[in-house]
Amino acid sequence: MWRYITKRILIAIPVLIGISIVAFFLIRLVPGDTVTALLGANYNQEQAAALRADYGLDKPLITQYLIWVKNLLKGDFGHSFFTNQAVSSSIMERLPVTFELMIMSFIYCLLIAIPLGAVASLKKNSLLDYLATIFGLLGVSIPNFWLATILILVFSLHMGWFPSGGFVSFFADPIANLRYMFLPSIALGASVGAVVMRMTRSSMLEILKQDYIEMARAKGVSQKILIISHALKNALIPVITVLGIQMGYLLGGSVIIEQIFSLPGIGRLALQAITNRDYILMQGSILFVAAGFVIINLLVDLIYALINPQIRY
Amino acid sequence: MQKIKKSKFLCLSIILFLLVGSFSFSSALAAEPRSGGTLSITDFSFSSARTLDPHLAQAAGSMRFIENMYNTLLKYKKAEYGSITGDLAKNYTITNDGKKYTFKLYQGVKFHDGSELTSADVKFSIERIIAKKVRAQQFSGVDKIETPDKYTVVITLKEPVAPFLTYLAYPMNAIVSQKITESNNNDLSSIDAGSGPFKLNLWERDQYLILDKFNDYFIQGKPYLDRVYLKVIDDETARTTALRNQELDLILQVSAKNIDRLAQYPDINVKSVAGTYWEYLGLNTRKGPLADKKVRQAIAWGINRATLNKMVKFDKATVLTSGPIPPGHWAADDLAVYPAQDLAKAKKLLADSDYSNGFETTLIVLSNPDQLNAAQVIKAQLAPLGIKVKIKSLESSVYFDKLGSGDFDMTVIGWVGFVDPDEYLYNIFHTDGIWNQQGYSNPEVDQLLEDGRRTSDQATRKEIYQKAQTIIAQDAPMVFLYVNPQASALQDYVKGFDINPTVTTISLVDTWLDQSAE
Amino acid sequence: MREFCYRFYKNKLAFLGFIILFIFLVMAIFAPYLAPYDPFQMDPQAMLQPPGADHLFGTDQFGRDILSRIIFGSRISFKVGLISVGLSLIVGVSMGIVAGYYGGWLDNLISRIMDVMFSFPQIFLALVIMAVLGTSSTNLMLAIGLVYIPIFGRIARASVLSIKDSLYIEAANSIGVSNLIIMLRHILPNIMAPIIVQTTLSFGFAIRAEAALSFLGLGVEADIPSWGIMLNQGKDWMEMAWWNAVFPGLSATLAILSFNILGDGLRDALDPRLRNEGE
Repeated sequence: MWRYITKRILIAIPVLIGISIVAFFLIRLVPGDTVTALLGANYNQEQAAALRADYGLDKPLITQYLIWVKNLLKGDFGHSFFTNQAVSSSIMERLPVTFELMIMSFIYCLLIAIPLGAVASLKKNSLLDYLATIFGLLGVSIPNFWLATILILVFSLHMGWFPSGGFVSFFADPIANLRYMFLPSIALGASVGAVVMRMTRSSMLEILKQDYIEMARAKGVSQKILIISHALKNALIPVITVLGIQMGYLLGGSVIIEQIFSLPGIGRLALQAITNRDYILMQGSILFVAAGFVIINLLVDLIYALINPQIRY
Repeated sequence: MQKIKKSKFLCLSIILFLLVGSFSFSSALAAEPRSGGTLSITDFSFSSARTLDPHLAQAAGSMRFIENMYNTLLKYKKAEYGSITGDLAKNYTITNDGKKYTFKLYQGVKFHDGSELTSADVKFSIERIIAKKVRAQQFSGVDKIETPDKYTVVITLKEPVAPFLTYLAYPMNAIVSQKITESNNNDLSSIDAGSGPFKLNLWERDQYLILDKFNDYFIQGKPYLDRVYLKVIDDETARTTALRNQELDLILQVSAKNIDRLAQYPDINVKSVAGTYWEYLGLNTRKGPLADKKVRQAIAWGINRATLNKMVKFDKATVLTSGPIPPGHWAADDLAVYPAQDLAKAKKLLADSDYSNGFETTLIVLSNPDQLNAAQVIKAQLAPLGIKVKIKSLESSVYFDKLGSGDFDMTVIGWVGFVDPDEYLYNIFHTDGIWNQQGYSNPEVDQLLEDGRRTSDQATRKEIYQKAQTIIAQDAPMVFLYVNPQASALQDYVKGFDINPTVTTISLVDTWLDQSAE
Repeated sequence: MREFCYRFYKNKLAFLGFIILFIFLVMAIFAPYLAPYDPFQMDPQAMLQPPGADHLFGTDQFGRDILSRIIFGSRISFKVGLISVGLSLIVGVSMGIVAGYYGGWLDNLISRIMDVMFSFPQIFLALVIMAVLGTSSTNLMLAIGLVYIPIFGRIARASVLSIKDSLYIEAANSIGVSNLIIMLRHILPNIMAPIIVQTTLSFGFAIRAEAALSFLGLGVEADIPSWGIMLNQGKDWMEMAWWNAVFPGLSATLAILSFNILGDGLRDALDPRLRNEGE
């Protein structure tokens, strides 16, 4: 077990180095640079050259990369060119928003998708099962940004139930915060919910076919207890893997959802940094998103290994 | 010998902006201003706020966040576009040769830390503006700054600069506290070193900025508001919904398509004045078919500005038929060089050029929706002339790089916030102008623009600038399209806010909430 | 093969998906004959018409017919899907087979590269790539193609590993058949089933990615009638002209849905044991 965990963590190290290289050099390929973005409409060439020298952007790329990595290892993500704010504090400011969005979407999955999938599998071919199937198919097919648009159209513009964008911190006003987060988390969570629902349903069906369940049934254990104690427990193993994969999907999807609902999260930070060519902030936020993704995957693998000891690499 | 020439520098001849005048006038009559309350305001530009340092600010969002924390020597006069009045300067004199300016400051003006604002801070600030480079060229004519006493500042110019007072009124040429600036290592990017009516409470980047009333403001009884809440809301739908739900009091700039719609709500006022935001089709005169004047003129005749206005601006903008200075400004060109689309003329001009069979060209544009839309209509309008336009939308950093280095064929973009005709023309159309992105050069225009800068008599300047605009329009380095209205939407109970053509919010100092109307 | 057809036909849902896709395909190919209007034709007299007899799906801000633009938009979607999936299929499968077949340092190198690519959320990576390359349909196809390479790579590699040690490969090896021939003749056909399924599903992802990136203004050029571009412009009209935001989204959803149910059906028909969900 420990050998496996150590091995998985060791594999993650070259991957993280690779990510840092991609994050750094991919961005340097972007046409246009920080200085032109900073100067905006007032751009002229002499000013640009002067600023470039001020920021050390005239040094060779390799030198710039090594300086960045050296500082990273010391825990210093650097400072944004635009705002002069520390990148780590920019990220920490926005992390709670993205985190809350992901958690709330996740909760919808757990509250709706797993019970729905389980019930659908028990009542196979019933009306409920068909509805669940349709929900599942639509959920995985509907583009989340369009779902967001429709949700705003119906629940915000016509009904006036929820604001169509913006953000209030949970600690400032919990109720307002939940109102602001409701539509975004539904839009983000729908497809994940659909995947989880389908997975729960199909793995439940698989389990219900197996012999020991048939035997338990024959012995007359009451159906309800049976489902909860045996079937669901076993069926959830693959569901957990899927949930792990989907956490990563939530992270990617949040970029778009944050943009539509004007939520000040990590994804929007990264997009803004890209637009501004704010190199240090871009590198930092891209690295952060990717590293988060790697860590989530690592955790999922480890959890999976723990609950299902047969799987080994 | 010195003589008070103040009135000559005040451009009092503006009549067309009566609308604002009457609005603020009538609201002043309605009730006595009351103190108290919080005003929530938003604008699409707020998301571009990057710094709180006035001398580094470039983005409109930064300027809106900063301008109420600071004072300037002079300021724009409310409801009279083009006019200047004192802010920190109680009065000022200018020598006859137009080179020496003497400003007398109000006494007892306090910065937000309680220290007194003196002439040393003024000198420090102007020198800092020059050192920070961003707006250094506005002060490139400054020879020396002297401070004979605590409340007197004397600025000597190398040669007369007609728009100098307008520059001093520009909200970002703010007077900062030398003490606060120096104790923060010259870094004002996230702090407040001002003496303005409001002081910084909290800035949550990309979310909101909170300004609180400055109780020791040097004008007794002002400001009226206890707090101003500047919220970042990126999406226009989200902004208008928030205003309707009374989560907001004011939207600074409403897009053309929402003007009529918001006006339908009984509690919401949409106030609009002729703005300063003009948009154009830029033609790079350096290379290819567009270097040919006939081709450029063909394009200028081939564009249907009225249809563009209808499809992109829903008829809310004012079409420009000559140069960029909007109708109503004292220096606007009366001659309509391009009164209407004339395809026959356009085709003839093109046939006479070397490109009688048409050509292919690229139009670069930002992702700004109105400009993208205008680009599409222009593409459709030029197709009948045999000009095939390819539209390329670029990120702002790439875009401005190309624009600045002259690496483009066509573009659609605009300028905003100018006051003096020199600002409208010199830097953009003079051969050596720093923003002469079209690479335009005409010695006659250069001469006119130089004369205009040195002349102080308004009637003479008017003639100079009208002539310059006619020539520029005929040479067509740009096809001038339209000037946008400056339209704000506000709740009925918001009083005393001046909808300014330059979009500035400095009138928040006079703004109050009429609780009885609420 | 016959059994496959039977199983596939029996799956009514998958068959429905196939029919819808066929209709979209016809729309894309014969767009100029089917569209009632020129999708670029602007009409100042017909701005923002609601759906009606003249314009079945209404018109946009420029008076352009939305139905015609949706029909032409299917061309963009299918083109982007075809080329980007083609790219990731060819590159990904080759890399996967090479990695799995040769093993050793080559496998290690390829696998680590894929790991790095996999460590970025796909849509996020595509966004960054588009920012690097700039908006254009060619760049968009490249970006989407690049992002999905590791998926094909992993599937191919895993499948190769599962059959690499089988008798017939060893036999081929021992009689001196060249590696290239073995990979093409013996390995490739035997790993086709999961790849076909993944290809079908990837079409759905590619169409979604095109729409998402264009929606954010980082996809195809702004004057091309693509579903994503239409949605991008339509979202500003949600309140006043809902048809601008609704119909293009419906088309995209329908197309993605069809690819998904077709993919599911193929999975069941080709290999009932394959049941991995997720993206």
